Amino acid sequence: MPASNATTPGDDIVIEARDVQKTYDTGSIQVHALRGVNLSVRRGEMVAIMGPSGCGKTTLLNSLSGLDDFDSGIVFINGTDITRMPDDKKTEFRARDMGFVFQTYNLLPVLTAAENVELPLIVSGTRPKVAREMALQALDRVRLRDKANQRPSQLSGGQRQRITVARAVVNRPAIMWADEPTGALDSATATEIMDLIVELNQSANQTCVIVTHDPKVAARCHRTIHMADGVIVREDSQATMREVAGSHA
Amino acid sequence: MNELFGLSMTWIAVGCVIATALIFVLVALIAVRNPVMFKMGLRNIPRRKAQTALIIIGLMLSTLIMSAAFGTGDTLTTSVTAEVYDLAGEADELILWDTDKQPAAQADQVIPLADVEAWQRQFANDPDIEAFVPLNFESLPVQNQRTRLNEASATIVGFRPQDAAALGGLNDIDGKPISLGPNEIAVNKELAEKIDAKPGDQVSIFYEGKPVTLVVKVIAPNEVLSGAFNSFAKQGGGVDFATLAAITGKGDNANGVFVSNTGGVKSGLSRSDVVVDKIEQAFGDRPYQVQPFKKDAVRFAELLGNAFTTIFVVFGLFSIAAGVLLIFLIFVMLAAERKPEMGMARAVGAKRRQLVESFLAEGMGYDLGAAVVGLIAGMGVTVLMVAIIKSTAGENLGLDLTVSFTPRSLIVAFCLGVIATFIVIFISSWRASRLNITAAIRDLPETHPYNPEAATWRGYVRAALNGVMATGVPVGLSLFLIGPLGMLFGSVLILIGLVAPWFYLLRGHNVGLTRDHRTSEGAPRWPWILGILLPGIGWFLILPWYFLALLLVVIVRDRKPASMPRWLPIAGIVVPPLGFVVALLQEARVQIAWSVGVAFAFGLAGAAMTYAGLERDSSFWFFLGVSLIFLFAAVTLRYFGVAPRLSFTVTSALLLVLWYLPGSVYEKVVGELNGDIEMFFLSGMVMVTASVFIVVYNADIVLPLIARLGSRFGRILPAIKTGVAYPLTARFRTGMTMVMIGLIMFSLVMMATMNTNFSAIFLNDESRGGFDIIVQPNENNRIDDLGAALQAAGLPPTDIATTAELRIAGSFEAEVQNRDGKKADNEQTADPNDKYVPEYMRFTVIGADAGFIQSTNIGMRIRAVGYETDEAVWNAIRDDPTKAVIPAYLIAPADPFGPPAGELLKLNEITGPFQPFTLKLRDPGTGNVSTITVIGIMKDAAGTFLTLGGSGDGTGGIITGLSTVEETFPASRGQRFYLTLKPGVDGEEYAKKVESALVQASADSLQKLLDDQQAISNGFLLVFQGFMGLGLIVGIAALAVVASRAVVERRQQIGMLRAIGYQRSMVALSFLFESGFIALSGILLGLFLGLSLSWVLFITGDFGEESKGAPFIVPWLNLSVICIIAFTASMLMTFLPARGASRVPVAEALRYE
Repeated sequence: MPASNATTPGDDIVIEARDVQKTYDTGSIQVHALRGVNLSVRRGEMVAIMGPSGCGKTTLLNSLSGLDDFDSGIVFINGTDITRMPDDKKTEFRARDMGFVFQTYNLLPVLTAAENVELPLIVSGTRPKVAREMALQALDRVRLRDKANQRPSQLSGGQRQRITVARAVVNRPAIMWADEPTGALDSATATEIMDLIVELNQSANQTCVIVTHDPKVAARCHRTIHMADGVIVREDSQATMREVAGSHA
Repeated sequence: MNELFGLSMTWIAVGCVIATALIFVLVALIAVRNPVMFKMGLRNIPRRKAQTALIIIGLMLSTLIMSAAFGTGDTLTTSVTAEVYDLAGEADELILWDTDKQPAAQADQVIPLADVEAWQRQFANDPDIEAFVPLNFESLPVQNQRTRLNEASATIVGFRPQDAAALGGLNDIDGKPISLGPNEIAVNKELAEKIDAKPGDQVSIFYEGKPVTLVVKVIAPNEVLSGAFNSFAKQGGGVDFATLAAITGKGDNANGVFVSNTGGVKSGLSRSDVVVDKIEQAFGDRPYQVQPFKKDAVRFAELLGNAFTTIFVVFGLFSIAAGVLLIFLIFVMLAAERKPEMGMARAVGAKRRQLVESFLAEGMGYDLGAAVVGLIAGMGVTVLMVAIIKSTAGENLGLDLTVSFTPRSLIVAFCLGVIATFIVIFISSWRASRLNITAAIRDLPETHPYNPEAATWRGYVRAALNGVMATGVPVGLSLFLIGPLGMLFGSVLILIGLVAPWFYLLRGHNVGLTRDHRTSEGAPRWPWILGILLPGIGWFLILPWYFLALLLVVIVRDRKPASMPRWLPIAGIVVPPLGFVVALLQEARVQIAWSVGVAFAFGLAGAAMTYAGLERDSSFWFFLGVSLIFLFAAVTLRYFGVAPRLSFTVTSALLLVLWYLPGSVYEKVVGELNGDIEMFFLSGMVMVTASVFIVVYNADIVLPLIARLGSRFGRILPAIKTGVAYPLTARFRTGMTMVMIGLIMFSLVMMATMNTNFSAIFLNDESRGGFDIIVQPNENNRIDDLGAALQAAGLPPTDIATTAELRIAGSFEAEVQNRDGKKADNEQTADPNDKYVPEYMRFTVIGADAGFIQSTNIGMRIRAVGYETDEAVWNAIRDDPTKAVIPAYLIAPADPFGPPAGELLKLNEITGPFQPFTLKLRDPGTGNVSTITVIGIMKDAAGTFLTLGGSGDGTGGIITGLSTVEETFPASRGQRFYLTLKPGVDGEEYAKKVESALVQASADSLQKLLDDQQAISNGFLLVFQGFMGLGLIVGIAALAVVASRAVVERRQQIGMLRAIGYQRSMVALSFLFESGFIALSGILLGLFLGLSLSWVLFITGDFGEESKGAPFIVPWLNLSVICIIAFTASMLMTFLPARGASRVPVAEALRYE
């Protein structure tokens, strides 16, 4: 575990990573997934992470969000150093301050849409009635309130991803982490989902970190960082990415 | 143990070894032909060590149960046989007087020594007969004058040393030969322990009340020459022939002659039949009989071993069935886990057969390990069970149980385990190999091609036709049950059923396709190989039929019509040969709804079984048939679009109602039905399965309830919800696991409940007959006046409130009119001239004195018309000694677990008040005949009372007036006294006082005897419960397997849950809730069904008339212990997978593929 010996970041910095390193040991080979990543994300900012397969994008997202441990470096989330945080605390922290959207929807097939959305609230101790009310509001925001009692298997891919977005925002988290949120969707549905994420970002001033391969998705973010071999190699503005996305269109 | 279900164990062993060898050959062939797939399979074994351990535990259960059942049988056979050889030594046959040839009083049933000497001369050079040894033997009281300890009934044997030499002579404990002088006795080990006798002691033996003093010369081993004739009463002694003859006054007469065959103790046995024939010819017109007693005893030992093995195997069937389900479940899950791998293998060119081979290689790895572990564990269980039997039954068992296993039994147990597992692995891997490659690679649910005939009558008829053809063998066999027409149709269907499976195999194969779709690929070769390799089965049941199927497929493949009239398949179902042609001519690519087809075929078989059940009055066929029809109905309804929840719930509920109906209700409609122990197994299977259907299709109704109670559960609410919801999404595995646990629980609950309630009926206060003490005088030393005898012995009868006397003519000295004309095996004969129906059959007749009639509280189950109360019945016997009451045994149907009826009398069943009827009694010794009038049938408790403390045949006896027995059976020697003590007198203590006061009588507290019986009953219950409880291991292992699989399957979901804030403990808790839900459902189902069925059967009298009015007792303590053990063990077993789930690394899980 890295030592926490740094000063707290400024107020408007929600995510700050300093020299984050992580190596996977597969027994015979050591893979340096992150080789000293430094990154700051401001409140309300939408940041895309791009790079070729195996460059460390998802590892960075997992490390920053506390889903995974890292070998050295420091990560502050909302001013809190999560580097040494015990697992239980980190879990509570995630339930309270973070939302997640994954490429595979990861909805529980045995629960209804509303039950899936209210999960983070219930596990963080919200009263079921209140949780249900908030879940319905979140479903409202993703325009799926009418599907509240349906199970994931009864919904389309786009609808399922909207449910995961609703679940990610139901606890009004400071940060939403999205790992390839449009990877499994057709382009029209992907646009719809990105519209939704952007809308939520703008309306709630929510920070959003998105790992993606898709320049069009990156073009919707305020800036894009590019990774290669476990390090950030460059950063592009939204305008640059729009140009890139345009050339891909 | 030589037989199992009537089949020779040797032949079973030979068959099993051949089949096992072939399985190994097959696996070796796979290894040689396809080393890559073979390795792929084997390398999966060490991948997940915990899972491998679980699988082996699950697979070993069948072998364990088999080896434990066989081990118990072997132990009993070997122990009893060893006892027989030890006691009988060189003696092989026994010559006795035959009262059937010439009636004579007991005292006159003797064989003059002159006759014996004549035989000795006649057979002096016979190659089969070594010696004739005349003996006198009497049951006499013995008292050690030094210790004052006595034994009321010791068998004293008198023999001539020159004759006894042929039996090895009498030896002392160290094997040194003994010669006895006049007035000397060799006391056997058993008697010596009872009276603490030592060489030099003086002992008194009593004959007709007169004491004779003998000196103990030596302590001898327990054997026939020292009086150990009977395993249950070995105490005795040997004296010189002349000494005993002088005491009994029998002179130069023996009352039995032992015959020793040429050869040793065991080898002489093979000559027994020849020797019996020779000696019977030598009898001429002399009234003797020769009994091959050693051969009979050895045969009895084998029967006992076979019976126990059969009982344990039958009771183990639940566990074996659960074990088979578990094996199937394990491999279905393994297949699901490997789906992407298998999909990839198929994508890169692996054939389905190769996937099966890979699975077989892996499965056989587990199988071998499991069979070895199961065998060893089974041996351990046998040791444990024998230890429990020994500790609870103790001396009442009458023999020294020594655990033993024959190599043959171990081989059969091992092979059966290997074979059963192999078959299940083969079926499940075949099923797994039929995967959709793209769905498998992406780990998506299986897709099914669109069937245009789905849910249509056309599709249904097609399914029905093909279902009947494919299952022709079982359906055809079931048609055999319904008479000649059924046999005709059945035979045709069986022939079709032998070809059809091969035809359906070839139908989907290249060889069955039409010319334009066919490639050069040949027909499958493995049926040829299998057919050649399997001797007998393969040659007759595979090769010709596969050849025929291949021929037919080749002939019709390019001659199929474009369409067929719609009525043709319907006609084909009615006329099987036409149906087969229609099936052959079907388009190869047309889809068949197999589940519906098979359900239809089973429905047809069910109809045949139902009819057969009604025709034969058989509960088994009737209920099995009706249950199959219900299954058919459920599947059919679902096929036509009725919601599965509705169709399965309604049909299962109706089926349960049918099973709960008491016999008195359904028999009004279907007539009388008879069932046996097999109904226990069938009822459990059907009722548990039906209930599980109801649970898995309806348990989700508790979800809204949980949601409504949400705030009470707080943060664990989602864990509870998923705990119920997840199992219901995988109904197959959840249902199977519930069935496994439910079946075992059902059997355990039924057994515990019935034992408790039967104990209450048979071992209650009434079983003491209203008395406290039983006193049994020696048969050669009757007591005329017990009070006076006690007074004379220095024990004034001041503590005695009442004294009652019974005179007993045992079943060996009394005969009763065979009123209902039953044969010796208790079958009813319709032919009045049947010469094999004896006029009289043996049965115990008991004469009761006025004291007994006055004091007894034995109740009547049924009274004759005109007798309003039990008291009226007893008073009638007091007033008219020719009136009588009979035991319930006499009118009860044959009980497979009761005493063997053999040549004992049985009467037709009587269920309600009856007109008094007469029975003739006959003394086979004197030919005396008298007539009694039966006016009552005693309760079952009377049977217990009359056999308490006595040897007898366990059937009780007919009770009539004392004078009737004295006059009809003057030579009968049985006598019993029953005492009622004054309040405050301790029964056990007083019995001891009586026994030490009266040399010639034994005395016991009736309560103590009852308690001992209860202890034995509880001990056997414990053994059976323990044995059946082994099946719970199956259910619990299944839970662990399901939980382990769920962790693997839901890794990503676990990662997501952790990501959004589930604590580790919550993840673990949700898995525990899932297992808890399944375990609790299975446990509660078994508990509810077992209790409710017992209750219905008990209060409706289906378990015997006497249970009708009796209070139903629930053994809550016993049941609670079983439930708690089952639930705790389930939770402990799922703790590891649950903990594993909670430790899933979040980031890794989310990326997991």
